[in-house]
Amino acid sequence: MRRQPPQWRIEMLLIHCPYCDEARAEIEFAYAGEAHIVRPPDPSLMSDEEWQRYLFIRSNPRGRHHERWRHIHGCGRFFNAVRDTATDKFEATYKAGEPRR
Amino acid sequence: MSGFRLDQGGRIDRSQPVSFSFDGVTYQGYAGDTLASALLANGVMLLGRSFKYHRPRGLLGAGSEEPNALVSVTRGPGRFTPNLRATSVELHEGLSATSQNRWPSLKTDFGAINDRLGMFLPAGFYNKTFMWPRSFWDRLYEPAIRRMAGLGEAPTEIDPDHYGATYAHCDLLIVGAGPAGIDAALEASGTSKRVVLLDEQDEAGGGALSDPALWKWLEESLKDLAAAPNITILRRTTAFGYYHDNFVGAVERLTDHLPHPADGAREKLWRIRADEVVLAQGAIERPLVFAGNDVPGVMLASAARTLLQRYGVAVGRSVALMAAHDSGWRDIFALARAGVGVAAIIDLRESVDAALLGEAQVLGIAVELGHSVIDVHGRLAVKGVTIARNDGAGAALLACDALLMAGGWTPSVHLWSHSKGSLAWRDDLGAYVPDQPNEAVRCVGACSGKWSFGSGLVTDSLPTPRDQSRIKAFVDFQNDVTAKDIRLAVREGFKSIEHIKRYTTTGMATDQGKTSNLNGLQIAAQALGRPVVDIGLTSFRPPYTPQSFGALAGHAQGALFQPTRKTGIDSWAEENGAVFELVAQWRRARYFPQGGEGMLAAVNRECRAVRSSVGIFDASTLGKIEVVGPDAAEFLNRMYTNPWKALEPGRCRYGLLLKEDGFITDDGVSARLAADRFHLTTTTGGAARVLNTMEDYLQTEWPDLDVWLTSTTEQWAVIALQGPMARKLLAPLVEGIDLSADAFPHMAIREGTICGVPTRLFRVSFTGELGFEINVPAAYGRALWERLIADGAAYGITPYGTEAMHVLRAEKGFIIVGQDTDGTVTPYDAGLDWAVGKKKPDFVGKRSLSRSDIVAPGRKQLVGLLTDDPTVVLEEGAQIVADPAQAVPMTMIGHVTSAYWSEALGRSIALALVAGGQQRIGEVLYVPMPDRVISARISGTVFYDPEGARLHV
Amino acid sequence: MSEALVRTDPVSGLDFVSEGVRLSLAGPMARFSLRARQPEVLEQLLGFKLPRQIGAIQAGAACLGPDEWLLRAPAGTKLSLGSGLPVAITEVSERSVCLIVEGPRAAEVLAAGCPLDLDRFTAGRATRTVFETVEIVLLRTGDNRFEVEVWRSFAPWFRTALETAAGQLR
Repeated sequence: MRRQPPQWRIEMLLIHCPYCDEARAEIEFAYAGEAHIVRPPDPSLMSDEEWQRYLFIRSNPRGRHHERWRHIHGCGRFFNAVRDTATDKFEATYKAGEPRR
Repeated sequence: MSGFRLDQGGRIDRSQPVSFSFDGVTYQGYAGDTLASALLANGVMLLGRSFKYHRPRGLLGAGSEEPNALVSVTRGPGRFTPNLRATSVELHEGLSATSQNRWPSLKTDFGAINDRLGMFLPAGFYNKTFMWPRSFWDRLYEPAIRRMAGLGEAPTEIDPDHYGATYAHCDLLIVGAGPAGIDAALEASGTSKRVVLLDEQDEAGGGALSDPALWKWLEESLKDLAAAPNITILRRTTAFGYYHDNFVGAVERLTDHLPHPADGAREKLWRIRADEVVLAQGAIERPLVFAGNDVPGVMLASAARTLLQRYGVAVGRSVALMAAHDSGWRDIFALARAGVGVAAIIDLRESVDAALLGEAQVLGIAVELGHSVIDVHGRLAVKGVTIARNDGAGAALLACDALLMAGGWTPSVHLWSHSKGSLAWRDDLGAYVPDQPNEAVRCVGACSGKWSFGSGLVTDSLPTPRDQSRIKAFVDFQNDVTAKDIRLAVREGFKSIEHIKRYTTTGMATDQGKTSNLNGLQIAAQALGRPVVDIGLTSFRPPYTPQSFGALAGHAQGALFQPTRKTGIDSWAEENGAVFELVAQWRRARYFPQGGEGMLAAVNRECRAVRSSVGIFDASTLGKIEVVGPDAAEFLNRMYTNPWKALEPGRCRYGLLLKEDGFITDDGVSARLAADRFHLTTTTGGAARVLNTMEDYLQTEWPDLDVWLTSTTEQWAVIALQGPMARKLLAPLVEGIDLSADAFPHMAIREGTICGVPTRLFRVSFTGELGFEINVPAAYGRALWERLIADGAAYGITPYGTEAMHVLRAEKGFIIVGQDTDGTVTPYDAGLDWAVGKKKPDFVGKRSLSRSDIVAPGRKQLVGLLTDDPTVVLEEGAQIVADPAQAVPMTMIGHVTSAYWSEALGRSIALALVAGGQQRIGEVLYVPMPDRVISARISGTVFYDPEGARLHV
Repeated sequence: MSEALVRTDPVSGLDFVSEGVRLSLAGPMARFSLRARQPEVLEQLLGFKLPRQIGAIQAGAACLGPDEWLLRAPAGTKLSLGSGLPVAITEVSERSVCLIVEGPRAAEVLAAGCPLDLDRFTAGRATRTVFETVEIVLLRTGDNRFEVEVWRSFAPWFRTALETAAGQLR
């Protein structure tokens, strides 16, 4: 039960949603972390170290980054993107489930 | 008195005199004047005091680059704007402006003592001097320095104005309506492109406004543009920032120039997305660096030309020019032809274009080539200058009342740089020009580095025979940085311009180095003995010019600041005197005081009613998600800690949601309506997060499952009816549902109608009493609430708020996620082992529950805490120790998460997270407070009716 | 049983009229969220065609996502819930209210807080988007007419924001 700070921001990026096939303002989207990290089919088979890697270890590169976004205030779909973390430029966006670009 | 109004010329409207005041003195100007031009026309040269040394300052420029003439404008009560550039303030009848940074008056400023002490105030002075003692900084040094060093004062009243905002989309955005920008617009005028052309001034034309030869062209071009349906022209609009993907922020000033502001918004924020941007920002003339270059009356040559041609104002009666560039010659020729007296042209160069020399001769102007100004005489106004040959010889006094500087031109690459376009150094210009774009953008006109102002000599500072360390030759006028300060920074070891900037403050603040950056760079490069390109270039940051907070907030003020979400029943609570609290974005009734009750009395009364008869509570804010599809049960089984597949339709279950790291993230009671349909509830604040997380798993981890999620939070109004009389009150209103204990047990759901409206009726309890949560379509919430209040009068029905709800649930040991948990609490830590389906092969977070540190002993666990003195209520968040005698810092072994006065128990209760708490039941621990230490005994978490006898009735 | 319960709307039912724009509250209607991987299964159940293109409106159904439609129908409309089929039909009639923004300057009023390029969002299109930070479903039902679905609790804020923007038109 906490007060929430105002969620005010000016969106800047223009993001192409691969489902709507349209470029829309960043304010319609939510960032959702690194892409292509698949939940293990049977976590009970994993060692603590393997599980820790799945939970917490991310690549955090400078440059090409595979990441997930959700068109949360649009079609609602999660999708993948390749974005350059140094320039903020999107190289590609593609549907969830499609192979890594 | 030096400046004066010429008998003719300018674009001002001489048929419309305007009176205005500056520092309480009334003056006359004309419509079309700026505050700066009108003051100068009245002979007022002294317009401000400098930032650090409080030196008298006049105009340097004639546009938004002006660093000196910062004024405050009052437009009536609460409407006070500091730090406006007098060159950008349009004159209107009754305008009231004051100077800044002076006491008691502009002419006699006590702070000017700083100027005399200047040798003791070098770069980094404050950092070096006021280091010790540390405690003096907050109380003494900083307030004193701020009082002395500040520019304008911040307004003290709430801004009564309102502001607009909009998005706009165009194919072509042109920033700057000078000749280059207008050309770009004309080029696009016959096309189908949506074009926006914006300019910061009140009149489109830019540099053309200062050149009467272009006025006819300008008039015709603007007529063509006005007739083009695809072109929108925004005047008084500053593009302040250029962001990703051609997103440009601009502010349009709507009413400040009007004598009697209309009702509309004062300013409007434009959020423009453009397919292509054309930057036509022009170039800004560079000052020259020499001793006394900041005396009022020393200004840019181009500014003097603008004052002459646009406003019909002469900057002096005997004007000298110090030039390193051809453009200044043309400016002073224009002055001479308009009848302004010219003292001399001094040029740093040994030779200049013969045509210029010829023209000077025709106009009878004395020329001194290979000379520099080495001193300026006069303090409040220029009285004369000393010039000398560049080898230092032949010093001579020259009488004049104004001195123009022509140091060459700096392309305005601010917005280009915001967009991360690269820059290239041009030795011949002594400036950086746009190189490779990073967006769909191009530069045209002077800001691209292409101009026809003639040639010049690039210099860091003028030669002087005087001791460089004893003269004040200003580089950054706004931040009071001299050439000496930059050289000192280099001597002290700063090698990068980024560090020199921070140490000396050159190019910082509202000015963003418009007139100072390149001189600063040249001086630093010269002092380091390295090429300019080697020492880097500092970032240009938005905003290009200062913007009001109001404009940036747009319409997000007052009632529109942030949505306050209200339930359908909220209006009843308001009419009945509820005290509210905010929970996430929701406004919720906290308690309903009666007849002057305080919070505790009201909450106690509300709690008594629930435990003895019946209370009514608006639970509409609870998050709700409808989970539908053949795989619904399978999906919930994977998400929640406990088993869901065997739950029968018509039954409810408490669901605990973990993150993959094993920590509790949400909880709620959910119901199975049919084999393939569930009605989930979440916490009020967690609704959106839970839905997003569930969508994430569904879409990306288990896309094969046939199940869909729909938020139904706002579809249903939820009224909790809690207390032993709840069933009696409800029974006559409900149709199609058997309310008897056998037919409708605790943790069940039934569908039917209530007062003729469809309902999903839950038999659940967050209070420990017999209770129902009545879901009805949201439009009927208030009417049903009122019916229950009316019919419940016979039972003394009592509305209760979130505070009583908290007490009642704490008496039962029910947790509130986010209060009794903090993102590091597992179900085991919270004592919720029973809610974990240990036989399930997997669920979100299960694997983490067997990680070594999660199963290690000594984790903080949720326990009850009963103070030895039953009247003392602990403070939530208070730390807990085992040994009250330990010296500070003590070993803290936990903290209080919830603490209340329990009316039912007649004593205080608390919940706490305590290391190894579940093994410590019965132990006495201590809560040190500022005035005392409170002792308390660890207990179980259920304080009231531990057998649950009151639920199953 | 005594008289039936009356409905309460979260915002005024009175029209707001300003230069070139009128705001009004649409009357009660039935709303359903329709979900299915295969739209054919839904179509068979409902007996009418659904639009396949995200952003299209057809027969009262707006396609909001690859497997999502918002169906708006006369108040009181009931649908078969398709139990056992790989579909999800959820009634959300009272989740939102619909504000109608119409007039030659309607698009200008919406552009005050909506980041869409409304010139390219032509009549017959629908989408979920935002007005400042508040989520809306925007339906363009005519060149000069928009219908905006907004969750009940956000409706007062949204209506005030629209009235403010309309009042600021010059």
